[in-house]
Amino acid sequence: MSIAEKMASYEDMVGPGITACLGCNVELSMRTALQILGPNTIVAVPPGCMGGVQSVGWADKTGMKIPVFFPLLDNTASMLTGIKKYYERIGRDVNAVAFAGDGASLDAGFQALSGAAERGDNIIYICYDNEGYMNTGFQRSSSTSLGSWTSTTPVGTKSHGKTSHKKDMPLIMAAHGIPYMATASPAYMPDLIKKIEKAKNVKNGLAYIHIYNSCATGWGYESEKSIDIVRKGVQSRFMPIYEFENGKYKLNIDVKNPISLKDYLYSMKKYKHVSEEQIAQLQEYVDEKWDNLKKLCDTSE
Amino acid sequence: MKNIKVLDGNHAAAIGAILSKPDVVAAYPITPQTPLVQHFSQYVADGVMDSTIVEPESEHSAMSVLTGASLAGARTFTATSSQGLALMYEPYFRASTMRLPIVMNIVNREMISPQSVWGGPQDSLTVRDAGWIQIYVEDNQEILDMTIQAFKIAENNDVLLPINICYDGFYLSHMTEGVEVPLQEEVNAFLPPYKPTHVKLDPETPMAVDPLTPGNYLQYYRELHMAAMDNAKRVIKEVNDEFAKKFGRDYFGLVEPYRMEDAEYVLVTLGSLTGSARIAVDLAREKGVKCGLIKIRSLRPFPVDEVNEFLKNAKAIGVIDRNVSFGWHTGIVYQEIKSAISSLDPIPTVPFIGGLGGEDLTTNLMVEALDSVIKAGENKQLENRAHWLINRKGR
Ligand SMILES: Cc1ncc(C[n+]2csc(CCOP(=O)(O)OP(=O)(O)O)c2C)c(N)n1
Ligand code: SF4
Repeated sequence: MSIAEKMASYEDMVGPGITACLGCNVELSMRTALQILGPNTIVAVPPGCMGGVQSVGWADKTGMKIPVFFPLLDNTASMLTGIKKYYERIGRDVNAVAFAGDGASLDAGFQALSGAAERGDNIIYICYDNEGYMNTGFQRSSSTSLGSWTSTTPVGTKSHGKTSHKKDMPLIMAAHGIPYMATASPAYMPDLIKKIEKAKNVKNGLAYIHIYNSCATGWGYESEKSIDIVRKGVQSRFMPIYEFENGKYKLNIDVKNPISLKDYLYSMKKYKHVSEEQIAQLQEYVDEKWDNLKKLCDTSE
Repeated sequence: MKNIKVLDGNHAAAIGAILSKPDVVAAYPITPQTPLVQHFSQYVADGVMDSTIVEPESEHSAMSVLTGASLAGARTFTATSSQGLALMYEPYFRASTMRLPIVMNIVNREMISPQSVWGGPQDSLTVRDAGWIQIYVEDNQEILDMTIQAFKIAENNDVLLPINICYDGFYLSHMTEGVEVPLQEEVNAFLPPYKPTHVKLDPETPMAVDPLTPGNYLQYYRELHMAAMDNAKRVIKEVNDEFAKKFGRDYFGLVEPYRMEDAEYVLVTLGSLTGSARIAVDLAREKGVKCGLIKIRSLRPFPVDEVNEFLKNAKAIGVIDRNVSFGWHTGIVYQEIKSAISSLDPIPTVPFIGGLGGEDLTTNLMVEALDSVIKAGENKQLENRAHWLINRKGR
């Protein structure tokens, strides 16, 4: 069965007509993930774009066909823990799933997520990383990359975008020693789908999936380029696609001949001002991360 | 035969909670609540307690875990104090507006700054308008009994609100008293297992919890929430009466009167300081002065009718607050009482503040307060600036 046939056989758990921007690949990721997770799922969508686009609903209408709730920005993981613990107690196997932005995961919700990972709570946590707080108007998050323009790291005569690098969340989550961690991209759907399937089968702790998503509206590019952009992100080694399973790292998409980072950066408005110096700093960061990841994968074999 | 044990307040609370068989417990340690968390761990380690315990990384997560568990249909319990409650504020408020019958004991402790770990209900009084039921208790027996009653009140279909049983840090949490412990079978008969009828996250009956909600709906929810608070007044009394009948201990529901039959001079108290106020009343009675006191047990819902009934014939009233309302020159309970009796002819009412940060409110201070109340009654003097009750020694 082709991947298209397989996906067509699964019901879409998200209702039609939610109000994400044209070409939003976060919405695509959410629909895909929930299709695979299926009806036996309770999903938490914290404040952020995916809550904002009315996946949870409006007034007495819901945007989902499965139980869904708005956690707080900062307690997604712990609310899911409570739900999961009760279902475990009464002997029912239910998927307790988060679909949360980088702000709700790396910043405000980090403590709750780290606590749930450390305790081994059996929840599935999917973070969509669009490198900023998009729903509130693209403010910086700890996942915003160096040099990026955001509404709180603006470009002016004295400042040139964000001054620090992106927080390496996938590695931090893997370092918790959770049973499964993976990064994914909507540009590589078969890989993303396989990873959601793996996360669904984890029964002995927290499964974390970090999806690199772009944002046409915030990042500044034509909406039809959404998939191109995240593919460029992967192909420039900026968004490495790998997994951490049972203590071992594995590179899933080996980028042997990366495209130039400049090509990736200059394809959007948020980086249009970056200097040669900033590009060099970013290149150094990307190379170091990539080498480190290669080493982790090599020693895991 | 009576099953009497020597217990401190935290231990009494832990036993009350365990007897109520919560499905999920999540609590984070903070002085003076800490021993309660330790008791739970030990009871689980010893196989006495059959609850699922989650050890969260903060109070914010403790309340969040319980919010999730309660949304899934669990009976839940936790406890905290002071800064812990403050850290919880966001999910604390939300538990009530989602109408989840979570039970949380608050071991009252002062808010910093300056650094203080000692008693004072500033923590819970400050969040009195977050939509929770708040009951304040006087001794360790009342802690245990009310922890059991709390589940029955909160889970009542006409109520469905979270509830705090508040008790004074150190004065009760760390003081030991003889406490009668009910048998598990007796509690089972009083408190059946929880069968949720409220919103529930279950794949078998999909629903959305908290979609974006316009103001007209939200107002309707607030209206229902307020009505539930009104219902809680009746339910608190009913549960009290049923408990009294089954266990022989009557706490009079919302307000407990003491020597109020013909009282003209009345002290109003909250929590454990009631003990020394009772003695002051006894001493004045010995001298032939018609004194009494009322102990406010339920601060939310506030017992407006009962307070009016008790105070309508008073010549003067004194309200003892172990907390402050910054920006007023009084404590918080004073304002509540003044609002409650606003339709009566003006009665001289004297606000007192004392016992902050664990300071003793001695019998002498209570006598001093009662003397001022009698004087205000005789002079028909209306006051609205607090008298400080201060131990002169060592200041
Ligand atoms: C405690 C708290 N602080 C602030 C907010 C306001 N807020 C709502 S969404 C959001 C940003 C979320 O960003 P992210 O998780 O990255 O999701 P995205 O908007 O990018 O989808 C913020 C700051 C909030 N809801 N709660
Ligand atoms: S702002 Fe960006 S992430 Fe949010 S819905 Fe629009 S495209 Fe998607």
